[in-house]
Amino acid sequence: MLEIDGLRKRYGDKTALDGVGFTVRPGETFGFVGANGAGKTTTMRIIMGVLDADSGEVRLDGRPVTYDARRTFGYMPEERGLYQKMKVAEQIEYFGRLHGLAPATARSATAALIERLGLVERRDDAVEALSLGNQQRVQLAVALVHEPAVLILDEPFSGLDPLAVDALAEVLKDRAAAGVPVIFSSHQLDLVERLCDSVGIISSGRMVAYGPVGELREREGRGVLRVVVRDAAPGWADGLPGELTREGGRDVLLCEEGDDQDILRTAIGAGRVEHFGRRQPTLAEIFREAVA
Amino acid sequence: MNGLWLVAQREIRTRIRTRSYLISLAVSAVLVAALAFLPKVLGGDDTYDVGVVGDAPPPAAQLAYSRYPDEAAARKAVIDGDLDAALINGDKVLANGELDQRLGLILESAHRDAQIKAAGLTITPLTVESVGADARYQGVRTGIATLIVMVLFFLLIYSSMFVAMGVVEEKGSRIVEILLTSVRPWQLLGGKIVGLGSLGLVNLVVVIAAGLSASFATGFTADLPPGTGGIVVSAVVWFVLGYAFFSALAAAFGSLVSRQEELNSVLTPMTMLMTLTYLTAYFAAVEPAGTVARVLSFVPPFSSMVMPVRTAAADVPMGEILIAGALMVVAVVAVLLGAARVYRRAVLRTGARVKLGEVVR
Repeated sequence: MLEIDGLRKRYGDKTALDGVGFTVRPGETFGFVGANGAGKTTTMRIIMGVLDADSGEVRLDGRPVTYDARRTFGYMPEERGLYQKMKVAEQIEYFGRLHGLAPATARSATAALIERLGLVERRDDAVEALSLGNQQRVQLAVALVHEPAVLILDEPFSGLDPLAVDALAEVLKDRAAAGVPVIFSSHQLDLVERLCDSVGIISSGRMVAYGPVGELREREGRGVLRVVVRDAAPGWADGLPGELTREGGRDVLLCEEGDDQDILRTAIGAGRVEHFGRRQPTLAEIFREAVA
Repeated sequence: MNGLWLVAQREIRTRIRTRSYLISLAVSAVLVAALAFLPKVLGGDDTYDVGVVGDAPPPAAQLAYSRYPDEAAARKAVIDGDLDAALINGDKVLANGELDQRLGLILESAHRDAQIKAAGLTITPLTVESVGADARYQGVRTGIATLIVMVLFFLLIYSSMFVAMGVVEEKGSRIVEILLTSVRPWQLLGGKIVGLGSLGLVNLVVVIAAGLSASFATGFTADLPPGTGGIVVSAVVWFVLGYAFFSALAAAFGSLVSRQEELNSVLTPMTMLMTLTYLTAYFAAVEPAGTVARVLSFVPPFSSMVMPVRTAAADVPMGEILIAGALMVVAVVAVLLGAARVYRRAVLRTGARVKLGEVVR
């Protein structure tokens, strides 16, 4: 289990992190969401030991994370970096060796990843000759080659085509299924919603919302009732609280207060009720609400 | 240590495959070999062409005789410049204008010897004993010293530059962020210095080998002063020390910037120090016994070039060399520690140039 606890970081008089904390269990995928400059990258850098926190701690299975423990982590920084003139396979293998793999292991792990990420024909090309999407795949391979015990990916999906997004999503699911805590940040909230077990929303260096995706949606929905009625006479909802709009020939009523049973009875009396329920906001809505 | 070795290996593998490395290696080898041939070419041959009419005189070391049928033919050859002089019947010399002074002395002494011999007398030559320093090889030693200065300077600046460029490449491309999650800063820095330094050493050895084999080929080796081997070994050892010093500086300064274009300006203090070292060493090659050369041969980093030059150009007591070496080692260790500190703090701060004052404290 990876615990991030009370991270604080200041640059001069600017506060970058103001007590950021969350927990990622083995096999859990954690989506890290926030506006630009909210503190995602700073948090991830501190987790990776690339940056020192002013205070706070990162723990793996209850123990503070050491340099040696971090060598087993896989990391994809926000700013991609590869040796431009080095060949694809050679580069992946080199990073495997740096992470402590034996030469033969590094070689076979590299071959497997190249196969999996569809880089077979590119294995002996220099990185600079690759398309951006393919460079991104190499970057991912570099983060994965040593079968990391923890995966930290900063904006791994940015700049990928839909096929590459699917491939990457598969790989992440795979690693999580193998019991690895996975943290990734993204601005693509639909992806986060689809892939993540839990989500953390960070704003101005603070966690403003954090929890399992379903829980978060319920909690943040705050009980807005959504009723869709067809063939109702105009003015049927005049006596009810809430706001009535028309969508595709149907009346849609959104109520934040009032007795739900009364509302339901009135709606049934007025016409054909097609939908009645507490509305679940999308992650995007929760996000906007949270950072507003 | 394993991390350092992996980094060093990568540096060597990457660099050695580039065409520019192989070309520069070949060019420097050819250049030095050509320099070794130079005295032969410039000095021409140091024998005199002497035409002979009549009886041939006994052979002499610096004279090459060629026979002419009569005085008129010999006279024409002298005027045409084919001959430095012509000896007619053993007692007359034809010269074009004034007779070369040295040639005159040789001919005169040969002539005298022949007459003394004919008179049945034997004479014993003067014995010469040097009471001062052995100055016979002074010219050659100064030449070797000058060559060492040039080669050391070239290799030092070239290798250090590559260290700085490598540091900036990794910083600018942000790859350093991934690297530092699997190796420690000192391993990354050390690996780079060791890897590129080994290539510099290969360069130096190739250059020396090229110079020495060219010397063998021209027969120049016979003129090399005794102790040339020691001079070469000392040049190699001082190169290693000087390289460790300057490359660590280069890495520290290089880590302050994120773009190759900024490298030149940020390296200026280092290149100035290096050029100053070069100039003092050049001065020391000309005047190896001077006070300036003596003093600076102890002061790091000047000693890294001045001392090998002094040992090449003059006789330096072993004790002085060892003291200078020890001082340089201390300086190298200090610079390495300082550079590692600057590097560790600056290398992740991408973007604008990092001020040196912010990272040393």
